[in-house]
Amino acid sequence: MSSPEPTLHSDQPATGSTDRRSFLRSTAAFAGLSALAASLAPLRELKDFSSSEEFLQKYYKELSPEEMKKVLLRITDEVEHQYGIRPHVRDLKPMDGVEFVYALNLTRCIGCRKCVHACVAENNQSRSPEIQYIRVLKMPHGSMDVEKGNHLYDDKEVPDKGFFYMPVQCQQCKNPPCVKVCPVNATWQEKDGITVIDYDWCIGCRYCEAACPYWARRFNFTKPEIPADRLNPEMAYLGNRPRKQGVMEKCHFCIQRTRVGKYPACLEVCPVGARKFGNILDPESEISYILRTKRVFIQLKEEMGTSPRFFYYFDK
Amino acid sequence: MSYPSTRTGYALGAITLLFFGLTALLLSNSWGHPPARQQIALVDKAFLEKTPWRQTYADLVQAKEDMSDFDCYGCHDKKKPPVLRFDAHSILIVPEEHKNIVMGHGSHNRNNLCYNCHNEGNLETFQVRDGHELKFADSTQLCGSCHGPNYRDWEAGAHGRINGYWNTTLGEAKKLACANCHNPHAPRIPTRNPAPGPHALRTPITAAHSPATTH
Repeated sequence: MSSPEPTLHSDQPATGSTDRRSFLRSTAAFAGLSALAASLAPLRELKDFSSSEEFLQKYYKELSPEEMKKVLLRITDEVEHQYGIRPHVRDLKPMDGVEFVYALNLTRCIGCRKCVHACVAENNQSRSPEIQYIRVLKMPHGSMDVEKGNHLYDDKEVPDKGFFYMPVQCQQCKNPPCVKVCPVNATWQEKDGITVIDYDWCIGCRYCEAACPYWARRFNFTKPEIPADRLNPEMAYLGNRPRKQGVMEKCHFCIQRTRVGKYPACLEVCPVGARKFGNILDPESEISYILRTKRVFIQLKEEMGTSPRFFYYFDK
Repeated sequence: MSYPSTRTGYALGAITLLFFGLTALLLSNSWGHPPARQQIALVDKAFLEKTPWRQTYADLVQAKEDMSDFDCYGCHDKKKPPVLRFDAHSILIVPEEHKNIVMGHGSHNRNNLCYNCHNEGNLETFQVRDGHELKFADSTQLCGSCHGPNYRDWEAGAHGRINGYWNTTLGEAKKLACANCHNPHAPRIPTRNPAPGPHALRTPITAAHSPATTH
């Protein structure tokens, strides 16, 4: 600790080659450089720089089919590099004459939360820290006030007497406030009604999260962690491909399933058939039947004018 | 050009040392580590299970399971329909041989009579209220003969589970039967243990933090 001090006083007058000023100057410069190095030290922990291809990638809507092919190949390689599994990544476009609508039967839902975890498994959400698109609200009978809902219930047995359960996820609004606030157009509504996010275009400003009245959007505060054996290799560009730190994500009606004609994962796993999904433009679909004949009483927070494509209904 | 005083020299030297010390601390990252995050356990794969919790007669036939439970005349006599017995409160006594059956169809034991659905004339068939016979494999029609509105909704796809494809031109939509979800002898869906709820990013959630509506 004390070694520089004697040199400061003993050397200078004797040799005259290093005067006090130049010594102080060089010391200050060294200290300054050291401080700079120290301030950059966190960079040593930064691994997995995003590739230059990703950095230079064009906006999703401007990509030509050939460029899209290259992008999908890059994502495939990156996922294989990271998880050791070669995924099947596709860019699925909306089908013609299809507009997706979801309906949820509040009479039937028992609050078992299977949909929450089926969604996590299907859509490659981070497991720790945890990201979940669906929140199941436990609500007392006789009220539709979501403020009275509790999504942290840890009952031994469900359904609990005197309560009903209301799962909330992205409502795929016809008039989405999240899309309006995005400063870089990284999120938009597709013609089949699904509001999507380009994870490579998102700058992580979280305006959309603040704008959403349903708390449907999630932010990757840290690097997502998915065990390789839980990774779903069936991926879509706008859907469940792995996200990186600093981008938003949310329910996209399982684009990788619904755009190839399948039901979403949350519906598939529902043990009571409370979840219904389909094409509202097809008058023969079950979803059309429900909206035509059932007591569809609510679009959540209807007064916000968001016009959700997610409906809640009762059986009787 | 004058040299600073010795006092100033000491002060500058001390500041320099302070800088060196800070640099050393910063480089060794003494305080730079964020607190360790709570590691969240993976969810039990049982919660991701898609197969229905019950199998219907038709499923068992298709899976080539042991059908000896449905061989009524292995024990019963074809000419003598079994007699129903009741206790002092007129509640059906389930015989020893069928004690795996828990009766609970309708509230207040309203529909706990075997021959409301089973056919006493031929135990290997059902009988609908108007008297005509139905095979075991056609159980949905039996349920539908009483539960009209639900049967109508089920036919339209609004009641019960459909798995597979919403777009039937691209794949098969598998509509589950009543008995895939409901036990015909006690049709109310039993309560179950829910899957774990959300964890907070930093603070572990305890029951004390959750709102009063939990119980």
